[in-house]
Amino acid sequence: MSDRLDELERRIDGLRAGVRTAMRAKDTATARTLRAELRAAERAWDALVTGDLPGAAPDESPDGSPDGPPGARAAGASPGRASEGGAPRGGALVTVREQVHQALTLLAAPAQPRLVAAVSEALLGGTLRGSRLTSLRRDEERSFASSPYGRPYYLCAALTDRLSPARGLLTVSTWPLERRVVGPLSPRVDFLTCAMAVARQLGADPLAALDPRALRLLARMARNIPGAAADADTADLGPPDPARVAEAAARELAVHAGRDTRDRAELAGRATSQLDDRSRLFGATTLITVARDAVVGDTVTTSGPAGDTATRGRR
Amino acid sequence: MNRLDALRGTTPQKPHDARAIAALAANPGCTRRALLDGAGIDKDAAARHLGFPAPFGQSPFAITRGNAFEALVKADGCAELLRMLRELLGLPIAEVAYHDVENVGAHLRHAHTRALFDRAARDGDDAGTVYDHPLLSVGIAGHTAYLEPDVVAFQLGGRFHIVEIKSFAVIDGQADPSAVAAAARQAAVYVLALRRMLAELGHDPLRVAHDVVLVCPENFANRPVATLVDVRRQLGVLERQLARMTALDRLLDGLPEELTFDLLPGEDGLPTRPAAELADALRRATARYAPDCLATCDLCFFCRDEARQEGATDLLGRHVRDELGGVGSVGEALGLADGARAPAEGQEEIARLLRNAERLRRECLA
Repeated sequence: MSDRLDELERRIDGLRAGVRTAMRAKDTATARTLRAELRAAERAWDALVTGDLPGAAPDESPDGSPDGPPGARAAGASPGRASEGGAPRGGALVTVREQVHQALTLLAAPAQPRLVAAVSEALLGGTLRGSRLTSLRRDEERSFASSPYGRPYYLCAALTDRLSPARGLLTVSTWPLERRVVGPLSPRVDFLTCAMAVARQLGADPLAALDPRALRLLARMARNIPGAAADADTADLGPPDPARVAEAAARELAVHAGRDTRDRAELAGRATSQLDDRSRLFGATTLITVARDAVVGDTVTTSGPAGDTATRGRR
Repeated sequence: MNRLDALRGTTPQKPHDARAIAALAANPGCTRRALLDGAGIDKDAAARHLGFPAPFGQSPFAITRGNAFEALVKADGCAELLRMLRELLGLPIAEVAYHDVENVGAHLRHAHTRALFDRAARDGDDAGTVYDHPLLSVGIAGHTAYLEPDVVAFQLGGRFHIVEIKSFAVIDGQADPSAVAAAARQAAVYVLALRRMLAELGHDPLRVAHDVVLVCPENFANRPVATLVDVRRQLGVLERQLARMTALDRLLDGLPEELTFDLLPGEDGLPTRPAAELADALRRATARYAPDCLATCDLCFFCRDEARQEGATDLLGRHVRDELGGVGSVGEALGLADGARAPAEGQEEIARLLRNAERLRRECLA
């Protein structure tokens, strides 16, 4: 197997040189052909290198993305990257799904894909990119629909106060419902929880504490927690102290915790009594919510075209 | 309204967005623009058809950069924004409630925004702090335009504030004044829309602060920084302009009955009307060209060309035009200066100044 890999790597190197030569000679037609061959070779390399790894599940993307096995993409597009990423801290060749699960387990709170990707990259040696997580939830829901509870865990949505899926918040199905719902205070509470988790991980793992990405992540979070940065004047100079960040986060958390816990318990109770298994994991669709929330019924009709004609401010 | 519809003719109406409404306030004196916007005419298509396409629209890079910066500011329940609001306005630690209005889906957002703000205005401080992706509406000349602030409105001490997130940089506390002015105009539209919504719901519209929070990246880093911008002046201009648009009759009275700016789009949506005829129709409505139009109006190149052909003093900018008060064209001004032209009644003063200037110039050159 590795012979074929070696051969492919040589071929990739050759093709790269060919593309460069063609570009220098301004021969775009040749460059395009060579680039296509290069991509094909890289895909072949990816397929080969992930094909004999136990972690790479071939059914990662049920909708069958056209550019080859997606598990391979997670390993980094070029041979050089994957082979170095696969080294010390592991995780580089773990599936996207599992990487997200690891990051979420570390954070122990609903999180946005950006944060999941950042944590996975900084603390778990992952190779996630935020944009890769967009279809993940839909794929999970489809898998649950075809064979309920067929997997040990599902990556699913957080539930809003209307029991609909919250936009862009990922959770794990095995968490208690109270942790998977979001009330008005929950985004802040979750952020503080995540900051504490990151700080604790950095404090406990000296290897991670040396990673500049991890320190950047912690510094970014610390900046937004009162009293977490070392000193108001030197906030930007040195990396923050993990213990101090955790302490500051805990202090602010204490302010919000009481009311948030009440909100969440109420929401979780409603979700348990009103939703079926599938909606409890992936959220009730908005239309069902509309039927139930008769309160807004009269305004629904007038606001019909709102979504279509609305224009984003940034355009 | 019927005459406005006649002005538009068979051309489909173009919905207004916040930028377009904000641009209204940029040049309040322009009749042509007021009529075109009032009738909801697609100015871009008209300008294209006339052979004066304006190079508008942001580059994809700018849009991506803007979106990325916005996502950064709003990440993790607006964590960055909360920090800035705590520093800038002394937002208490306990105030962090975050409502993402977009969670309800596009078709319900406007109703949901109304419900949330109604509750917030009634229940006082406890109801919520940050409202993300609200959908506001504002009536323009009989039509409703929906606005989505790329911003968050939040409540502090019972007052709502509009937050405008922009990706132009603030360097050493300074930002490009024209970019800030544009942002202030756009934010003023949101302030106005939110005030109208509160008034409709029976609350005091002045609970929306006239200070908006402008969030920009600071000093070449991507670190956001917030500043307060007073938009009272922009609000005043905007109110006046919107009132004008609902009372366009006065403007219409001076125009011939059969005038229309119809593009007569064919089956493929492309205009079929002869460009010269459309240009003639447009010239019937007087424009008030100023160089700033190049940044805001789709028809700018057409109006500039017209002003050039007439030798109008508008081309020289608002300041010069106002200094030359009463002298409409460059030729006239030159004539007055070298004495080739006798000053008309009321022009004596400006003629004297121009002659003086001409004398000074000659002395300098001699």
